[in-house]
Amino acid sequence: MPLESNARIVSELASRGYNAEREAVTLLAGAEDVAAALEAAVEAAPDDALRITTDHVRAALDGHGTAPSADAPSGSGAPSGSPPTPSDRSSASPDQPPVQTAEPGRSPVETRGSGAGGAEADDPAADAAVGGSAHGHAAAAHDRDPSWRELEVGNDMTGHSTGTGEYADFVRTFRDRYERLSGLLRGRVNHRPAEAIADMPGGSDAAMIGLVNDVRSTKSGHWLIELEDTTGTFPALVMKDKGLADVVDEILMDECLAIEGTLADDAGILFADSLHFPDVPRTRVTGGADRHVQAALISDVHVGSEEFVADAWSRFTDWLHTPEAAPVEYLLIAGDMVEGVGVYPDQDEELDVVDIYEQYELFAEYLKEVPGDTEIVMIPGNHDAVRLAEPQPGFSEEIREIMDVHDARIVSNPATVSVEGVEVLMYHGVSLDEVIAELPEEKASYDEPHKAMFQLLKKRHVAPQFGGHTRVAPEERDYLVIEDVPDVFHTGHVHKLGWGKYHDVLAVNSGCWQAQTDFQKSVNIDPDAGYAPILDLDTLEMTVRKFT
Amino acid sequence: MRADDERYFARLEERLDEAFEVAGTAKAQGKDPKPEIEIPVARDMADRVENILGIDGVAERVRELEGEMSREEAALELVTDFVEGTVGDYDSRAGKIEGAVRTAVALLTEGVVAAPIEGIDRVELLENDDGTEFINVYYAGPIRSAGGTAQALSVLVADYARALLGIDEYHARTEEVERYAEEIALYDRETGLQYTPKDEEAKFIAENIPIMLDGEATGDEEVSGFRDLERVDTNSARGGMCLVAAEGIALKAPKIQRYTRDLEEVDWPWLQDLIDGTIGKDGGDGEEEGGGDDAGEGDGGDDGTTDGNADEASGDDAADPAGPPRPKPSRKFLRDLIAGRPVFTHPSEAGGFRLRYGRARNHGFATAGVHPATMHLVDDFLATGTQIKTERPGKAAGVVPVDSIEGPTVKLANGEVRRIDDPEEALAVRNGVEEILDLGEYLVNYGEFVENNHPLAPASYVYEWWVQEFAAAGADVQALADDPNVDLERPEPGAALEWAEAYDCPLHPAYTYLWHDVSVADVEALAEAVAGGEVVEGVLAIEHTERVARALETLLVEHAATPDALRIPTWRPLARSLGVDDGLRKEWTPEDLPREAREWDGGDDAVKAVNAVAPFAVRERAPVRIGNRMGRPEKSESRDLSPAVHTLFPINEAGGPQRDVAEAARTMDDRGRRGHLELEVADRACPDCGTHTYRSACPDCGTHTEPHYECGDCGTVCEPDEAGRVECPRCEWEVTAATRQEVDLNDAYRSALESVGERESAFEILKGVQGLTSTNKTPEPIEKGILRAKNGVTSFKDGTVRYDMTDLPVTSVRPEELDVTADHFRELGYETDIDGDPLRHDDQLVELKVQDVVLSDGAAEHMLRTADFVDDLLEQFYDLPRFYEVNERDDLVGELVFGMAPHTSAATVGRVIGFTSAAVGYAHPYFHAAKRRNCFHPATTIAYLEEGERREISIEAFVESRLGDPETDDFGTLVQELDGDVRVPSIDERGNGTTRSVTAVSKHPSQDHFVRIRTRSGRTIRVTPDHTMLRVADGEIRRTPARELAVGDRVPAAHSGEREQSTDASAASADGGVDVDEIVEAELVESGVEYTYNITVSDTHRLSANELWVEQCDGDEDCVMLLMDGLLNFSKTFLPNQRGGKMDAPLVMSSRIDPSEIDDEAHNMDIVRRYPLEFYEATREMADPEVVEDRIKLGEDTLGTDDEYRGFDHTHDTTDIAMGPDLSAYKTLGDMMEKMNAQLELARKLRAVDETDVAERVIEYHFLPDIIGNLRAFSRQETRCLDCGEKYRRMPLSGDCRECGGRVNLTVHEGSVSKYVDTAIEVAERFDCRPYTKQRLYVLEDALESIFEDDTNKQSGIADFM
Repeated sequence: MPLESNARIVSELASRGYNAEREAVTLLAGAEDVAAALEAAVEAAPDDALRITTDHVRAALDGHGTAPSADAPSGSGAPSGSPPTPSDRSSASPDQPPVQTAEPGRSPVETRGSGAGGAEADDPAADAAVGGSAHGHAAAAHDRDPSWRELEVGNDMTGHSTGTGEYADFVRTFRDRYERLSGLLRGRVNHRPAEAIADMPGGSDAAMIGLVNDVRSTKSGHWLIELEDTTGTFPALVMKDKGLADVVDEILMDECLAIEGTLADDAGILFADSLHFPDVPRTRVTGGADRHVQAALISDVHVGSEEFVADAWSRFTDWLHTPEAAPVEYLLIAGDMVEGVGVYPDQDEELDVVDIYEQYELFAEYLKEVPGDTEIVMIPGNHDAVRLAEPQPGFSEEIREIMDVHDARIVSNPATVSVEGVEVLMYHGVSLDEVIAELPEEKASYDEPHKAMFQLLKKRHVAPQFGGHTRVAPEERDYLVIEDVPDVFHTGHVHKLGWGKYHDVLAVNSGCWQAQTDFQKSVNIDPDAGYAPILDLDTLEMTVRKFT
Repeated sequence: MRADDERYFARLEERLDEAFEVAGTAKAQGKDPKPEIEIPVARDMADRVENILGIDGVAERVRELEGEMSREEAALELVTDFVEGTVGDYDSRAGKIEGAVRTAVALLTEGVVAAPIEGIDRVELLENDDGTEFINVYYAGPIRSAGGTAQALSVLVADYARALLGIDEYHARTEEVERYAEEIALYDRETGLQYTPKDEEAKFIAENIPIMLDGEATGDEEVSGFRDLERVDTNSARGGMCLVAAEGIALKAPKIQRYTRDLEEVDWPWLQDLIDGTIGKDGGDGEEEGGGDDAGEGDGGDDGTTDGNADEASGDDAADPAGPPRPKPSRKFLRDLIAGRPVFTHPSEAGGFRLRYGRARNHGFATAGVHPATMHLVDDFLATGTQIKTERPGKAAGVVPVDSIEGPTVKLANGEVRRIDDPEEALAVRNGVEEILDLGEYLVNYGEFVENNHPLAPASYVYEWWVQEFAAAGADVQALADDPNVDLERPEPGAALEWAEAYDCPLHPAYTYLWHDVSVADVEALAEAVAGGEVVEGVLAIEHTERVARALETLLVEHAATPDALRIPTWRPLARSLGVDDGLRKEWTPEDLPREAREWDGGDDAVKAVNAVAPFAVRERAPVRIGNRMGRPEKSESRDLSPAVHTLFPINEAGGPQRDVAEAARTMDDRGRRGHLELEVADRACPDCGTHTYRSACPDCGTHTEPHYECGDCGTVCEPDEAGRVECPRCEWEVTAATRQEVDLNDAYRSALESVGERESAFEILKGVQGLTSTNKTPEPIEKGILRAKNGVTSFKDGTVRYDMTDLPVTSVRPEELDVTADHFRELGYETDIDGDPLRHDDQLVELKVQDVVLSDGAAEHMLRTADFVDDLLEQFYDLPRFYEVNERDDLVGELVFGMAPHTSAATVGRVIGFTSAAVGYAHPYFHAAKRRNCFHPATTIAYLEEGERREISIEAFVESRLGDPETDDFGTLVQELDGDVRVPSIDERGNGTTRSVTAVSKHPSQDHFVRIRTRSGRTIRVTPDHTMLRVADGEIRRTPARELAVGDRVPAAHSGEREQSTDASAASADGGVDVDEIVEAELVESGVEYTYNITVSDTHRLSANELWVEQCDGDEDCVMLLMDGLLNFSKTFLPNQRGGKMDAPLVMSSRIDPSEIDDEAHNMDIVRRYPLEFYEATREMADPEVVEDRIKLGEDTLGTDDEYRGFDHTHDTTDIAMGPDLSAYKTLGDMMEKMNAQLELARKLRAVDETDVAERVIEYHFLPDIIGNLRAFSRQETRCLDCGEKYRRMPLSGDCRECGGRVNLTVHEGSVSKYVDTAIEVAERFDCRPYTKQRLYVLEDALESIFEDDTNKQSGIADFM
């Protein structure tokens, strides 16, 4: 539990030139998000104040409409203890960082400002240019010290694609998935291999961890789930009256599950009592930067498309040069830099730039508008000129050379990026389509893409289902497994903006920079173009800025 | 009818009678299931109606009534006859009504469809709640083929009969009324209706209709309310009833009202409410949408911007005199271009086929006349009968050779530009051709424009136009034509120039060059060059410059070229056209040109300029070019089965996969007996001695046996009723004669051999069938099979021997070209040639009689063998004299055959008059009939692509959702053409994956049976027995009818995970290969459904259905059967026992064609010798074809007159109807790569073809979808156990097969994914494709590398070692 020590709070306040009342410090330490609360308190304090008082702190916290949590400062424990289904997500709302400008999951155009002192740009009326510098950090935009920066990339398979498309490669990939995900579940159930269960006497209790081989409903309305481990498969029957219907709805093929239950009398089937997903633990130490620094999380730029919103992009990059954006030292782009070629039939008719290399050149030009000392991380998406099968390695040398501005880091999709202690899992998000298609509307929809992301977090895999929408390239390990729980999960692809917290993991789907295409019109998708979610790396609070 | 025609038909019928007599004698011996001939002869529609119904006296009455009233009225009139008992032999009132209703439907459907017999199951009398009686008509699904009017009229007829018989009206109970509404809505959801009445409407109909409409259940979906009604036996939707109520009564109310008004006894006042739409009907009447469907490229709006722009351009042209009239180019035909099928002309591109109007004698509906020299010059890709997709006027056409039009013009390697009008010359120079400057003329008849309702396109200036202008200008054409020194068609240059000047007539077309293709500037340059040239020995030599040379080539001026000079032998007309006189003096300067001429079509069209400087008028020589590309190759092949069926005798599994009867006869059972099989065959009883046997003749006394119907439950022996139904009176179910009985096959086989006096060595193998599918399962005598096997022919499901051929029309022939003599013709009753001169010589042209057919060499061969078989049969089996006695094929001349149009139940008698080397069946256009389609079970899952994603859906849902405004053909098929936006995965003949567009969807009344095929990996599919399936043998994919698939056959497998097929690594080769699956079960099953569905896939005609690659159907093929074979061997008894099984079987035979009763498309053929001047002028206006309809006689104009069988004149002759290559290069070239290289090579040579575009399209439509699809398939593939075939959606974690522990492997390997990449890139580079295309390929190549290569172990380049 990351108890901010009172001492640290005091020293932080001191560094800003304040003294503090003892009670004020205690109050701050008890806040859900200490850093943010501290920040707010500092702002709430009159300019001439030298000492932060409890009043200041209270004013700051109340001002955000969020009472300081009486609970553990981490805020991780949902007091109700209710199961972590997304439908329970409403309880996650109070977990949100206090400086959140919009409630999670709300479409930005509907959000109204919470009236806090934080950046307040998602009000459609509030143009970035007039956003003002609310933080009081009136430092010049380029007054940055790169030596503070820490950026590490994990799970990058670029240049390490060792699969050769053999059967054994596939088997190895799926085995690796099973090994790693079942490891997460082993502590929770007493796993017996399929083979062993088959030999157990009828009526005994048993549990099995396996990849879902099949899920289907029976005539009588129950569900049959077939799990597979390295020894074979075993069927489990989920009775409709077990109250697990909601859980069964969420199951995707090939994800890793644990099922506990009782064997039938003939030992041929397991009657399920409970189901477990690998899931994200509720209690967890979240990372955070030691300083006030921010990252912009964007995706789906689609340069080269006739629908690329160049104006919005320029407003965004202009804003990055403003003092207000000074802390934005990182830019993470989750795929689809360009519109690509041959992505769908007759695409050339809708391309502004038909040449794929020129598309990247143009993208590089647009990227130059970003302040030169911004640290950039990019992963490819399905429109990019790399293989479509996931994991997708970072771009080829030729394209890297085109995009050499800013010395951007180009890594594979998915990849984890550790930015000053904040673990960000970047994944383009092709599997979201499938999750949205397979799961009931209330659990995953295009209007609330983060809910689909919650599912992936729960399954600890970015694209579980094989054989459907998602394409898989077999490698020596399954790079799509979410082995370590990230602090932030960043995706794109569906062109809808949405964010929310799931067990303290901030899931962000970052909208796009491409206006509605004919295809989207035909399927009635209204993309969220021109938004930039800005993440405070020290507090993990997020602000969404609108540039259209 | 003229006496001449009468004699002709009499002759045919005389021979027919002869055959009937012989066959009748043979049949009377009782060795066949029925002791009489089972194909009744129908002379006309009335006969067909009578025969199809089997009700005596109908024909006579129909003939009486036909002259006096419409068919509808006749149908009503006949009701009185039935009621009074003057027609039909019915005792019961229900029977009388049934007869009347059936007759009405038969009459309205002209007696060619099975609806009257299969669509109306029965009529019964039931009781109303008040105790009165009412009539219930029990409809079945095939009623659909009758069409709305006949459906509705059937109800009216029933009501009329009801009124006459004094039976009460039907009073529907409330729940029944509600049921109708629910059921119709359900049926519409499930199956789809053309018109869906609202609930109120349906209820209104149900409340008011005086007859109860009932029917059998179709489909599985049940109604949710109003179930288990007393008077309705099913809870499912009753398809026939729904159709009659919705598409009949509701949709055709106005038509019905017309007849009810005339009938006193019948009063349906409620129809008015239906018509007025006061029953809550909304505006969207299904019929209204029918009108707006433009033919041809009228619906080409989806062709993208190209079309749009062109449209505007041509619109401007029409309004603005600054350019010539031109139809807008349409690129539609280029869609889905596939590797190996070349483009001949890009849309409206100069240098391509020049549109010439006319009808050659071997020309008719959907055909295109091409010069045989052109066929050779396009590297033999075109042959007689090859189908091409065309730009206009229709969509596709069969190629016919016509050498009376201009041939192609080529540039030879030595620089010579020469027009080639001789196929021999074409072959001689073919290797030296550097460029094909012009493909020659392309003959299209006026009727084709009428049929397609396509506006006329400006005509080429040709002799037949010029000569009319010449005559109009005052020339005495007749005198000149009679002058032996003058060749009007190909005059000397001097004469042509003189005529042009003397009569002020446009220059003769022979010397009219293609001025519209060159620019004004070119003309100026050329004129300068000509003026600066010199004449040496009559040949004009001018300076060789690039511009002038290209201009001459474009103009199609024949010349020779040396590096310095261009030598033009025939130069005077050229010079004069250029305003240069014979002394090479140029008398004009560019400034003399009027502004209009200079700026005509932006200066790119020099016609006006030439007219300004030439001393005479110069017309546009070839303003319209017709784009086209190759479609399907021609076809002529016997319906050979594999495994073949020689005898319709069941042997269960005993014969092995080959169904070898001898092997089955040798098989020993558990008790050590050989050939004892338990077979399901008919139980027949001898009327004389009472012996029970499966044989048609009593083994004891030789008497003909009759089926013995014994109820399997209670043992009651039943008799068939008047309608032929056998129902057990006690158990009330249908009883058949089929029973399981032990048969000593060994004995049957040996005694059959003995009885025909043959030894086993007489044939290689005798193949039987696994089981019989007919109702009573009567087997055929094995003797027939033995003789078939001996003569090398095989049997169709109905016992006949058949041969398929692509149809081509011909109206006049020369004995010579048919490999027969004038003597033969005279024997056949041909007396004069087309000009009325006595027929003396083999090369005289005679008008073909309407039922005379020309067999392809292959068909003749096959017919010879069939004739031998029939003779053997007569001699050895029936102990009768031989009938045909053929020794050589000449002996076949004059013999009669049956022509069967697919999916009909009526055969047409034809007479063989000769043979052709072309691989097609030539016959009179009236002889040819509609199209055939074979289909899938509705539940078949097909794969298609939506937004590039593979989707799977049941074919029923797929088709129904697209039957927006379908056309109904004569056989009850609903067809909806699609614009090609929907694509499906497909494979070519080498098994290479590709995607193709769907051009049409259709829905057909179901046949009785399906073949169900199950494969080792558990795939199953149900298709109609004749459906063409694909089989993999010897590394090739072969086509075979479904019913011929046997256990052990290997079939190509498609993968549900993907749109493309995969390749087994071991089979992966440069040209692909497919994954295969093995058949473990193939059996006939009852259909149980009412409709089958089909989709038409462009080019490959293949699609993935239930994860198997199958062929869709193919159309346009007739088959022929030898007359005697049909008479002796056809039996309805053999036909599968369910609905639709009677299709494609000769239930009735027309001995003479009534032109009024054939399909309309043949009527739109023009039959004149010359098109009038007004026609040519109308083409310049781009008028609608109707404008000149009065001036050009069409077939339809002679209908019903004495001339309906004659006077099919043509405008163009051709030397031989089988010129050009016999087979398309497409069929003779090897693998796909070879074909594609030939295709691209040809594209390079053709001026009218943009080879880059061809390469782009091949890449775009063939390679890219293949690579992308296979790549996608790879990354989401299934795996399969190599040992037991078990398939896994995902790779098992154990690595091994969970079933058998065997080795599991991928179904899509690297080989199949990357096989085309290198070729595609090579083609893209070689033909300089767009960077976009190349980049797509390179991106894909990178993706492949990324997946299939280990980054850490990259292959080192050679540089690493240097």
